[in-house]
Amino acid sequence: MSASSPTTAPSLGRAGAADAPPQRPSRGAAKRRSSAVRGGERLVGYTFMVPWLIGTAVLTIGPMAWSLYLSFTDYHLIRGGSWVGAANYTAIFSDPMFARAVKVTVVYVLVAVPVKLVASLLVAMLLSQQRRGMGFYRAAFYMPSLIAMSVGVALIWKALFSNDGAQDRLMSAFGWEGGGFLGNPSVSILMLVLLAVWSFGAPMVIFLAGLMQVPQELYEAADVDGASKWKKFVHITLPMLSPVIFFNVLMETVGAFQLFGPAYIIGGEAGTPAWSTLFYTVRIYTLAFTDFRMGYASAYAWLLVVAVGIVTVIMFRAARGLVFYAGEDQR
Amino acid sequence: MIRHSSGFRRRSLLAGASGAAVMAAAAACGGDGPAGTADDPIEISFEWWGDGARAEITQQAVDLFEEKNVGVKVRTNFADFPTYWESMTTRMAAKDLPDVLNMDYSRLLQFGGNGLLLPLEGVVDTSDFIEGFLDTGHVNGELVAVPIAGNTLGLIHRDDWWGDAGVTLEAGYTWEDYHRSIATVSATLDEGKWGGGDYAGQYHFMELWLRQQGGSFYTEDGKALNFDQDTLVAWWSMTQDLQAAGDVPPIDVSSQWAPENGFVLDAVGADLGWDNFLAWYSPTVAENGGTLALAAPPTLDPTNLGLYLKPSMQLCVSATTKYPEQSGKLIDFLLTDPEAIAILGTNRGVPATNVGRDNVEIDAIAQQVLDYEASVEQYLTAPPPPPPAATGGIEVKFGEIYEQVLFGELAPDAAAATFFTEAETLLAAEQ
Repeated sequence: MSASSPTTAPSLGRAGAADAPPQRPSRGAAKRRSSAVRGGERLVGYTFMVPWLIGTAVLTIGPMAWSLYLSFTDYHLIRGGSWVGAANYTAIFSDPMFARAVKVTVVYVLVAVPVKLVASLLVAMLLSQQRRGMGFYRAAFYMPSLIAMSVGVALIWKALFSNDGAQDRLMSAFGWEGGGFLGNPSVSILMLVLLAVWSFGAPMVIFLAGLMQVPQELYEAADVDGASKWKKFVHITLPMLSPVIFFNVLMETVGAFQLFGPAYIIGGEAGTPAWSTLFYTVRIYTLAFTDFRMGYASAYAWLLVVAVGIVTVIMFRAARGLVFYAGEDQR
Repeated sequence: MIRHSSGFRRRSLLAGASGAAVMAAAAACGGDGPAGTADDPIEISFEWWGDGARAEITQQAVDLFEEKNVGVKVRTNFADFPTYWESMTTRMAAKDLPDVLNMDYSRLLQFGGNGLLLPLEGVVDTSDFIEGFLDTGHVNGELVAVPIAGNTLGLIHRDDWWGDAGVTLEAGYTWEDYHRSIATVSATLDEGKWGGGDYAGQYHFMELWLRQQGGSFYTEDGKALNFDQDTLVAWWSMTQDLQAAGDVPPIDVSSQWAPENGFVLDAVGADLGWDNFLAWYSPTVAENGGTLALAAPPTLDPTNLGLYLKPSMQLCVSATTKYPEQSGKLIDFLLTDPEAIAILGTNRGVPATNVGRDNVEIDAIAQQVLDYEASVEQYLTAPPPPPPAATGGIEVKFGEIYEQVLFGELAPDAAAATFFTEAETLLAAEQ
């Protein structure tokens, strides 16, 4: 569910696979194997996939179809319900809590994703150097992302940002008078942004892998031309890294829209203080499991699916002009 | 080689699976028979809300139950009030309620009305309850909940702080008197302590205020709110001046107290509350060198305090329990076994059974509660019908939206409009 799963990292440099993504026609190593694959081999392949295909059908597609159906009913979690057409969808737009939840979520996505990615890129660049003990540092910086979504960390976060907590004391020393973020609705979302930034491990590792792939001869050539560090970063590192950046932006954005666990633990169902941490998913949860309005909650969920889908499509469109794949002709 | 090994695995897997099937069948047979022997104990689950101290004595009583009922194991769990209900409502959806669960009057219809509670007639011994106490446990004419204790609202206050400030309250005092007293007490206290709390975020207190005007929170049929938006605006403006003057704790402070509480944190000198909460607050207040007292709540009408006797907590059995008999036994034990009553004391309030009242040790705190209930007995009127199934959600929204007012995110009239939209949607969804 969370985009921070490292297993979704792009398979950089593994170009030999039969179904290599078409946008990465890499280094001429790919043979035209698909034509040579015999039917029998294909059957074996699908046979091995059967458990996952069943899992996808039963655990993902099935529930999704069911929830799509529910979104057109007034389904009550205990008592059931009946078909109401698009009534849920029209009701959502006059629901004051909907606007709140959208606002909180969008602000979070717009702030947390860029900050997290810049931070993880900076750390990845530090960690890509060849120094002694680098393995330790890489592990140490990756560590928080393994536990960041846990209940324990969310509780620690609460303590850090309460009145007289670490953040309040530290900032009060510099004249801050807003108290702990936990009780201050105008800044409380920063708690969750900082939690996201702190857990930058997954994008960092992907950036690190991307940085390792940048051919050293490009930098050497730039050195010969007397390019500054900044120029090298802008003209070599960023373009060469752009597919990885795109991947990270995409995954982090999609993940940020779905943030639930820490928000729920820190702000509760009410999104305290003052609905300032009332994330879209928290609202869905409350509707479904406190108010029992499963049909309405499903409509909420499907709007999120559509919204994230649209955002993803826009990103892919934008990426066409911005992302540079090695091996492509320069425009 | 690989092929050989996987073949071997498959065989052992099959053997394992058939073994498991046999075991499952055997277990199923065991379940059908007269379950619950020392060698083959059955297990029921029991969950409640409350703090660590309550959990400790409840566990002692449960241990005693297990000792006296060999072959029945009780798996216990507890949480604070909001967490408990979040858990229960989620598990209600999965029809995975504990066999014996702690019920609140405001949630009774939500659970009982949806057929999730077992009718208790014949399951639980109902012969010993004090007159009138069982009335509040019926849903659709069937008894689905039995009370542990009763309680009523009162003004809990720090006797020491209020005494030092020279403030006394005679029954029949008005809400304005109360506000003035809070201001007087606050003036004598150090920073970080307040004479009273902001009470306007609790729907129970608004219900009290409405009852003092001869009204009620819900209409008789429980399908709608029985007041208009202006009334709510008036209620939510009650503590405005106190907030402005800093005589009650500001929201950015008090919103961080949960799951603790202003009394326990030595920060608040008075608040409306259920009288049995005294047992929860008093020990900690005493540790802080203070004493608590109970007084009648402020009123609009000296002859009508709006009070009624409410079951403070009820016990229910899940409709899906496999062991109704043992679950009923556990309830009987907790409410009528003299030893259990001695252990549980008045932590949940003064017991609702005769044998309970005869065997409970009335300590100083319990005596305070009993004295208070005796002093307001003449004012107790008939309880309102069980609140509608949506009440749990409405109660949460009520506090949530008032918080918006305190944070200045919503003006009182906009907040009232929001609350009406939310409450009406919730009421409609439950009909």
